[in-house]
Amino acid sequence: MLDKLKESIKAALPELDFVMGWGMGYDPLHATPLYMYEPEDVDNLVWGPLNVHNLAVHLPSLKGKKVGIVVKGCDSRSVVELLQEGLINREDVVIFGAPCNGIVDMSKIRKAVPDAHFVHSVETDDNGLTITTDKDTHKLSLAEVMADKCTRCRFPNAVVADHFVGEKREPTVENDAYEDLESFESQGFEERRDFWMTEMDRCIRCYACRNACPLCVCRDHCVAQSRNPHWVSQRDGVRDKFMFQIIHAMHMAGRCTECGECERACPMDIPVLLLKRKLGTVIHDLFDYDSGLDAEARPPLLAFKLEEESIKEKDW
Amino acid sequence: MRIGVFICHCGSNIEGTVDTAEVSRIARDYPEVAFATDTMYACSEPGQDGIIEAIGEHKLDGVVVASCTPRMHEATFRNTLERAGLNPYMFEMANIREHVSWIGKDREANTNKAADLVRMAVEKLRRNQPLIAKEFDINRRVLVIGGGVAGIQAALDCADAGLEVVMVERESTIGGKMAKLDKTFPTVDCSSCILGPRMVEIAQHPNITLYACSEVDGVSGYVGNFSVKIKKKARYVDWDKCTGCGECVEKCPSRKAPNTFDEKIGPGRAINIPFPQAIPKKATINAEYCIKLTKGKCGTCEKICPSNAIDFQQQDEIITEEVGAVVAATGYDLFDWTVYEEYGGGRYPDVITSLQYERLLSASGPTGGHVKRPSDGKEPKNVVFIQCVGSRDKSVGRPYCSGFCCMYTAKQAILTKDHIPDSTSYVFYMDIRAPGKLYDEFTRRAMEEYGAQYIRGRVAMVYPDGKGNMIVRGADTLMGRQVEVQADLVVLAVGVESAKNSPQLAEKLRISYDSYGFFMEGHPKLKPCETNTAGVYLAGACQGPKDIPASVAQGSAAASKVIGLFSKEKLKSDPQTANVDIKRCIGCGKCVLTCPFGAIKEVDFRGQPKAEVIETVCQGCGICSSTCPQGAIQLRHFTDNQILAEVEAICRF
Repeated sequence: MLDKLKESIKAALPELDFVMGWGMGYDPLHATPLYMYEPEDVDNLVWGPLNVHNLAVHLPSLKGKKVGIVVKGCDSRSVVELLQEGLINREDVVIFGAPCNGIVDMSKIRKAVPDAHFVHSVETDDNGLTITTDKDTHKLSLAEVMADKCTRCRFPNAVVADHFVGEKREPTVENDAYEDLESFESQGFEERRDFWMTEMDRCIRCYACRNACPLCVCRDHCVAQSRNPHWVSQRDGVRDKFMFQIIHAMHMAGRCTECGECERACPMDIPVLLLKRKLGTVIHDLFDYDSGLDAEARPPLLAFKLEEESIKEKDW
Repeated sequence: MRIGVFICHCGSNIEGTVDTAEVSRIARDYPEVAFATDTMYACSEPGQDGIIEAIGEHKLDGVVVASCTPRMHEATFRNTLERAGLNPYMFEMANIREHVSWIGKDREANTNKAADLVRMAVEKLRRNQPLIAKEFDINRRVLVIGGGVAGIQAALDCADAGLEVVMVERESTIGGKMAKLDKTFPTVDCSSCILGPRMVEIAQHPNITLYACSEVDGVSGYVGNFSVKIKKKARYVDWDKCTGCGECVEKCPSRKAPNTFDEKIGPGRAINIPFPQAIPKKATINAEYCIKLTKGKCGTCEKICPSNAIDFQQQDEIITEEVGAVVAATGYDLFDWTVYEEYGGGRYPDVITSLQYERLLSASGPTGGHVKRPSDGKEPKNVVFIQCVGSRDKSVGRPYCSGFCCMYTAKQAILTKDHIPDSTSYVFYMDIRAPGKLYDEFTRRAMEEYGAQYIRGRVAMVYPDGKGNMIVRGADTLMGRQVEVQADLVVLAVGVESAKNSPQLAEKLRISYDSYGFFMEGHPKLKPCETNTAGVYLAGACQGPKDIPASVAQGSAAASKVIGLFSKEKLKSDPQTANVDIKRCIGCGKCVLTCPFGAIKEVDFRGQPKAEVIETVCQGCGICSSTCPQGAIQLRHFTDNQILAEVEAICRF
């Protein structure tokens, strides 16, 4: 399948400035974004559970160039969202899709493989990963170290693609039951507040969550680093950290595709995706809307209606 | 910045439960406050002079007044600042009356809260910028919605003052409810005799364009420059050709159509001209009952019409009119009297509404002015009037008094005696409300000279006696006993409710309406015919139940407001609009999508898309600024930083 993907990229490459995919990073355990300008670059392409990054985050800054992008199912929803918001032009982007069996959660691997500092080799197959370090060899099943979002994946195949290779895979689940959110919300107010206060207090304000988010499109103009408007101050303390996360979540309401990049990028492992998942359920229940599926749809919070069908303010 | 703070006593309204001297003492410690004092009435002439004096003496460049609501006096104090040579937007108001003194009795807590609200105002003011209003042209045409007596008055007054008037009427004729009345109280003069000439004037006035059988479909724009979409409903008759001869009405075989003008008691036709004095006097086809339009056969009217005016292909048509002001005069509708099952309205033919009775009394009505009861055409000898049907009754959601039913019932009792000298009228009433000029005398005349039997009490039930008459059973609370009256005819004095679809129209006009659907005036006492939307005025019962003199007075008042508005050379736009910081704007266009007024457009700035606000169209609602994720679009005078400063001012701990 990887060969087919490479072939199809090579075939399209002459028409494109470059194609984004994944290649091997600084060690065999870490993939890294790969920019393919020449056919020989394509030979470095990898596909598998280590392709954790959502490359759609780079697309808006490439507006005006003609680029190709390799996407997993979840990444493709971000592309749809960017198309919908006019941040990229459909004719300037060529999308390569392939079925995804799920990606790993590096935090889980770090826990399972305490000596993952010097990795000699990683072999992946249908059953999982074999990681050989300088001390030991670890056999891990994919289920053990899979990212949480993949356990509830509804779109393993790209929802939009110009070139799709391989057999389409059945979704992992029919519907996301939001069990994580439900169990979190079953706690009392005090517990939930204490949880967030503790978690948010660990934030180091590196803004990796924001920078990894494909839909955080304000870039240099983010309100987190602006004096006018001055929403977030330079003060140290949980208040401003929490404020930023709430702003981020609110800006994502109705746009977030729950790709999980914010949480993956967080060096402190703060579960910030949970906030976005909460707003996702609210939007879904209120507007019967799922983001990142239809480039022609209008997200409910980016429209003005005198009367919302589902919000009855008046009795007529 | 040098800020002056003025804490108003509002007589004892605020001082009664707030230590204003203490609030001003606390305010002196707020940042950049150079002067603070308490004052008896800040809005009074000496109060305003005191502010102007302090501005000069202490070299103030910003003022906070802690008093009542901005809706009440913001404009007042902005003028004060302007007179003192300051920019009127270097002013903030803290509402320590509605938000403090009127809602709490604890003087110490109130004083603390008042001081907090003043702190918020100071913090906001510190971030205020001088704003300058822009001037724009006025389109000196006015739209009058509704052709009842209030709308007619407003239209004629405007037209006589030289303004071009567009009148839109939902029905096929103007005249409204007044055209249906036989006589009017308290003078008992003929309704159509006094209204008719006014209606003719509307038709003939060179400054008035009348769209009957039409409705307002949408309104866009702003004061001075509204664009109104008007839906001319299909009437299936070419009104340019129709001469109003009425031959089609006579020959129309479809006789089940309701005669809405006669309140459904007279015979109806699918093609109809409402009444002889109708303006415009044109035939209209009721598509629901027309045999040709429903079954494809018939077409009698088409064959008979001498001027070939029938057009079964006619469609609804949307036209656009540009106006500078709007007068809403959409009147009222009757409460659904069948809700009172105990009165038998809608079940017994001889229980009718007061408006139906007007049609029976009217010489142009279905009975030619001979009072005949609907069931058997017999002349009634005993007529029972039941008051407050859908008025002053919480149980049916109508706790308000409709205002004029007492009077028209007295009039109908008098007219009944005039029509049938050997008749007796019985009136079941709760209280008699007759506060107008010559009104109480009139009700007394009904009782004393015309022998109407007034019974104070509610009716428990109305039922047929089996011999063709009705029995009205009720309480006589003055005598403290039950009464039963045998009635040939029962007339329900049905109360007033807002006209159908009033809330929808209000939304189109962007004006407020109350929980009953009546349009909200700008101020219950001091702005009775303005709305809180600039350029939209109210006349007549659309604002609340009103009789003819009051409706006419408000029609004239609304016209005078329009004339006053149009007498200005140019209008000033509100500078509190959204504004794009072009450096921060990334051109994502989210603001363009959410703006309800279409006031934001995308422009090209050195090859990059950017948002731009059309200031005259912007209404300052702020949806764009809450949509913009990076805060690049800000509402002037309500910027994020100003609001955040206010929040910080009260959440200090």
